[in-house]
Amino acid sequence: MSETQRVGEVIESSTTDFIAQCYELYELPPLGSLVKTGDSDGELYGIVYNATTSGVEPGRRPIARGKDEASETAIYQSNPQLLKLLRSEFEVAVVGHRREGKLCQYLPPKPARIHGFVYQCLPEEVREFSQSFDFLTILIDRQLSVPTGELIAASLRQMGKVRSDDDRGHFLVTAGKELAILLSHDFNQLKAILERIKR
Amino acid sequence: MSLDLGKVASQVERMIATLKVGRQERQQHLQNALDTLSKQADQVSALATKIELSKVTWLVAGLTDGVGGHYPPPPIPDEFAVLATDGSHVDVDRHRSPRCYLINIGAVTLRYGSSPGATLDSLPYLYSGDEEMVIPPSGDGIQEQIIEGTLLGIKRDVAECGQLARLASGLPEAIPAVALLDGTLVHWNLVKYPGFVIEALLDKGFLSYLSQIKRLNNNGRQVAVASYISFPGSTEVVNTLRLALCPHRVLDTDRNCRDCTTRECEAVVGVRDRDIFLRLLEPGERSDLFISRSEIIKRYGEHQVYFFYLKIDDEVARVEVPRWVAMDEAQLNLVHSLVLDQCRRGQGYPVALSEAHEQAVVTGADRENFWQLVESWLIEEHLPSTSSAKSRSKRTRWL
Repeated sequence: MSETQRVGEVIESSTTDFIAQCYELYELPPLGSLVKTGDSDGELYGIVYNATTSGVEPGRRPIARGKDEASETAIYQSNPQLLKLLRSEFEVAVVGHRREGKLCQYLPPKPARIHGFVYQCLPEEVREFSQSFDFLTILIDRQLSVPTGELIAASLRQMGKVRSDDDRGHFLVTAGKELAILLSHDFNQLKAILERIKR
Repeated sequence: MSLDLGKVASQVERMIATLKVGRQERQQHLQNALDTLSKQADQVSALATKIELSKVTWLVAGLTDGVGGHYPPPPIPDEFAVLATDGSHVDVDRHRSPRCYLINIGAVTLRYGSSPGATLDSLPYLYSGDEEMVIPPSGDGIQEQIIEGTLLGIKRDVAECGQLARLASGLPEAIPAVALLDGTLVHWNLVKYPGFVIEALLDKGFLSYLSQIKRLNNNGRQVAVASYISFPGSTEVVNTLRLALCPHRVLDTDRNCRDCTTRECEAVVGVRDRDIFLRLLEPGERSDLFISRSEIIKRYGEHQVYFFYLKIDDEVARVEVPRWVAMDEAQLNLVHSLVLDQCRRGQGYPVALSEAHEQAVVTGADRENFWQLVESWLIEEHLPSTSSAKSRSKRTRWL
């Protein structure tokens, strides 16, 4: 795995989700982006579906500090401890895994390990993963803290970004057709997603 | 059933009523104290002589240049660092085995200026060996001193100072810095202990760490040390005014006070130093320097403790410094300006101390988790884990 793409570390994990903490404040992977974590047994793939930045300690709420400061940067310069007392976390829906070289778009046999490093997938990995749309079924079936339609649209936009202009159009049209089948019972949801991935 | 607030309420009502009645008298005493302070401003050397010659049972502040002076905050340097440590501990629990105690030190370095940054650390130290549970006697003595309760609190203060010295020596560059401790530098409560305890904790501990910090001040490097007391309850300056009000040229409280009928000194009774300086100082200003005359200070040597009061906004704090900081104008100004700056950044309390406290704090839940960790380890190693029936009763409540 590439060290340069490391975006965080798993701090909470279940079969369907994991939460990762960023090493640097606000250095969050974008909504809908494909990330992975894993160990010698294999790799888990997931879609970033939520992100938060809050105080490290639950009982300590941040307070407004900028009344007499010229800029947001100045607030952090005047209060250097803030960078150590705030943390950014992102939540990931597990959508697949790789075992013995084979990429599977269904839930893995074991959840991610705590303290597992989380990497942003490289463009070639995203292209490989998005050759199949089976992961959409997992996302459609989930009840997440963000609207499912928003997440699906965001993930398809992220997957489109790693393609050339011509390829991106073809990819999004194919995705749209797949969604038309999966969401045949929910026209409004389908329409909302298609609106959000239009070029 | 725990505390019955219904039953407490009527007692609170009586307490508040008593406070209300005494309010006018306290205001008058405060005005008397301010008037006395004003009158003494041009008689400082006479008052200083009276302090030196008198024998008083109350703790009186020694004088330096004046009593009623106030000094505006000096400018803040462009680049500086503030260090702070604070501590918390888990005391020996005689209801559990094994005998051990834990000291947790919070250590903070905040760097301001062109390269701002922060390091926040929590450093737990577990003590359990026979030699760690006592202070051994020196020479031919046989009676060792067990470390627990008050003495553990003092050992923790020493550990905080030790960590502060390590932080100060690790400062990466020669930028001016203030190293802060919470509470007093005056370890007056050591007086009641045998000499070998004072030697171990004060001479070879606390004071040696202050010396380490002092030695860092060379080749133009500036590292001042200070301690910060929020909302101080001390009355040393007021006691100095009591002495000033006393008509005896030289006072011996044991001889003169018993038969005294005029009681001039009672004109300022009930007033605290902070009440005076809250009225006297403008926000950001510090008072004159005073000297602690606590019995234990005789051992402090070059670290003899000086103090001043500092008005933040609505509060007066007491800041204590060793003599080598008090006597160096640049260091004193650095302490004044940076402590004030820290308070303003920290909603009225030095932000470095506040964060050091957050790093150090051991909550009730932490304490219980610690003991559970110890006990589970004992069980895993097939060692007996015994605790008293009282301890078990507190942990397992039943009907």
